[in-house]
Amino acid sequence: MDEVAVDLKQALPNVYNNLQVHVDVHQKSNSPATSQDIQSHVMQLLNRHCVVFGDYSWTEFDDSFLMKNIHSISIADTELKLKDRQPIDLSKCKVLIHIFQLNEDGPCVESLEEENEDLVAANHWLLPAADFHGLWDSLIYDSEIKSRLLDYIETAMLFSDKNVDSNLISWNRVVLLHGPPGTGKTSLCKALAQKLTIRLSYRYRYGQLVEINSHSLFSKWFSESGKLVTKMFQKIHELINDKEALVFVLIDEVESLTAARKASRAGTEPSDAIRVVNAVLTQIDHIKRYPNVVILSTSNLTEKIDVAFTDRADIKQYIGPPSPAAIFKIYLSCIEELMKCQIIYPKQQLLTLRDLEIIGFLENNISKLSLQLNEISRKSEGLSGRVLRKLPFLAHALYLQSPTVTIERFLWALSLAVDEQFQERKNFSENI
Amino acid sequence: MAQCGQDPPPRRAQGRLLSSQRRCSQEDLTVSVVFPGLVTRESCCRFTCELLKHILHQRHQLPLPYEQLLGFSGKAQGSEDAAKKRSWTEELGNRQCKQTLSDLEELLGQLETLFAITPVPRVLLLLGGNPVNPKELYDIDMAGVSVGNGEQSLGTRPCLRQLFHALFLADPFSDLRATSVLSLVVMVQGQRQCGTDWFKPKLNYKVPSRGHTLTVRLACTDSPAPEPTSGDYIWFQAPVTVKGFQN
Repeated sequence: MDEVAVDLKQALPNVYNNLQVHVDVHQKSNSPATSQDIQSHVMQLLNRHCVVFGDYSWTEFDDSFLMKNIHSISIADTELKLKDRQPIDLSKCKVLIHIFQLNEDGPCVESLEEENEDLVAANHWLLPAADFHGLWDSLIYDSEIKSRLLDYIETAMLFSDKNVDSNLISWNRVVLLHGPPGTGKTSLCKALAQKLTIRLSYRYRYGQLVEINSHSLFSKWFSESGKLVTKMFQKIHELINDKEALVFVLIDEVESLTAARKASRAGTEPSDAIRVVNAVLTQIDHIKRYPNVVILSTSNLTEKIDVAFTDRADIKQYIGPPSPAAIFKIYLSCIEELMKCQIIYPKQQLLTLRDLEIIGFLENNISKLSLQLNEISRKSEGLSGRVLRKLPFLAHALYLQSPTVTIERFLWALSLAVDEQFQERKNFSENI
Repeated sequence: MAQCGQDPPPRRAQGRLLSSQRRCSQEDLTVSVVFPGLVTRESCCRFTCELLKHILHQRHQLPLPYEQLLGFSGKAQGSEDAAKKRSWTEELGNRQCKQTLSDLEELLGQLETLFAITPVPRVLLLLGGNPVNPKELYDIDMAGVSVGNGEQSLGTRPCLRQLFHALFLADPFSDLRATSVLSLVVMVQGQRQCGTDWFKPKLNYKVPSRGHTLTVRLACTDSPAPEPTSGDYIWFQAPVTVKGFQN
């Protein structure tokens, strides 16, 4: 067996010598095992399976220790780096093992105004949170958006580690994601925070995600809004002071906070709004000195945002609607989920787009369904991720309504649902 | 009979002067109690539970002391007709009360079980916020307690009386502002391999440094210098959070 493995190793191309492979180990919430023990058992497992094809996840183990303490071991995000699914020889790569346990308590809330305690100014999660588990993998984008974001943070951390003088080379740890609604900007922010907490668990004990409700920062009292922003950031400061925490500040729909100051010059905005923009900008400048904070922001209307803010953002990433290839992947993951829950029955193996390419989109018994799905994906181009994720539900509700369906019936219904969606859109735009 | 070894009532006068700053200051209060002999593990458990109930009431999370609430809710269940007449707001309050009481009951029961299977050097009661940055932190430090068996040890009641006497003198609650309804999380330090299946191990947990802190330090007089916590201790979190209610 070993000899075969060695032979196999030599036969493999040797192109990814310094590839880093991240292995995420999800420890059960009731497991008290030490990370050293887990690490050694995981290494044993990986040594036995030293060649993997792309991302892979183990959830069942022979080892009784792993069975007792571990939910899953996943080789993650190799597909972000390597374009194609190809064999990876773990013994030649740098294997990084990240062990994490999920925090199962939901978010806790922070309020700002003393007398008005009910108004929630921010939601606050302890990461890694059970709420965001699996979110990262469910987000599918075409270009290297995900790996770019990860690489960016890695570089930022490296610069902080090496004490690069931030007066000479400035980096702000501000990420701005913009694009049409429903493309998963907010989800990506949350997933990124979760992922980074896990990736950087060797240096930070835990992560904190503070999601600011922008509207709560505007006071009913004239001239108080700027102070509320300062107060909000004061709380964040307290969190940052804990050197062992990695703090993510998520400002959703950032345009409502930093709407262009130009507008106020035109007299359409009260001067209080200018103060808010100014307060946010100065606070961001204050925060950027700390190495353990990342500011994530999203926006639908990039042109409305103050230029001074977009300037401060290091990464301005456009997130558009998914391409047919990404839509295919999204549908595939939906169908797999429905098969797992036995709503689509009997279970059938569908081919991935890459498999289809290899056989040259040739129609035969095996590829027929996948080709059909590919057709639907093409048809769905232009729909946003949010709509796509609810289409399987709509398809079932509108056209199927039975506890179990065959895959053929489901694809038929899905196709109708897509048509319906476009029809709806057309009606909507006509009526306006 | 009990020799109180608590600090002189700390900073009472000062506290008044600073009462406006008090809330944001990181001032830590410590109440030390030295028992004149050994105590049993069951007693340690009682101390924790009684402090928990006391703090919940003192910090306005329970409108009445726990025992009284128990009595009331028991009575209320008896009269079904009364329940029908109540308005929905009362009904809601009533439901919250029941929920809180049942959570507390479960928690107290599980604490008893945990104290039976592992030595517990430290308990944290965290009020508000989340476990890593609570609004208020109550730290029960029992590392200095020498545990004896039933015959060698002091009775639970006199020790409890001594503990609450010290707490009463220190008067740590009167300067605090009344707060809204918060939730309470209990963290307990125990041996890694104690095998509890109710409490969840939190391997990365670190005692927070933020928030208003009150430390209750329990020790015994004739104890040998407390061993530096040998053995493999980790933090466990109780899987229920006790939500306060007010009516």
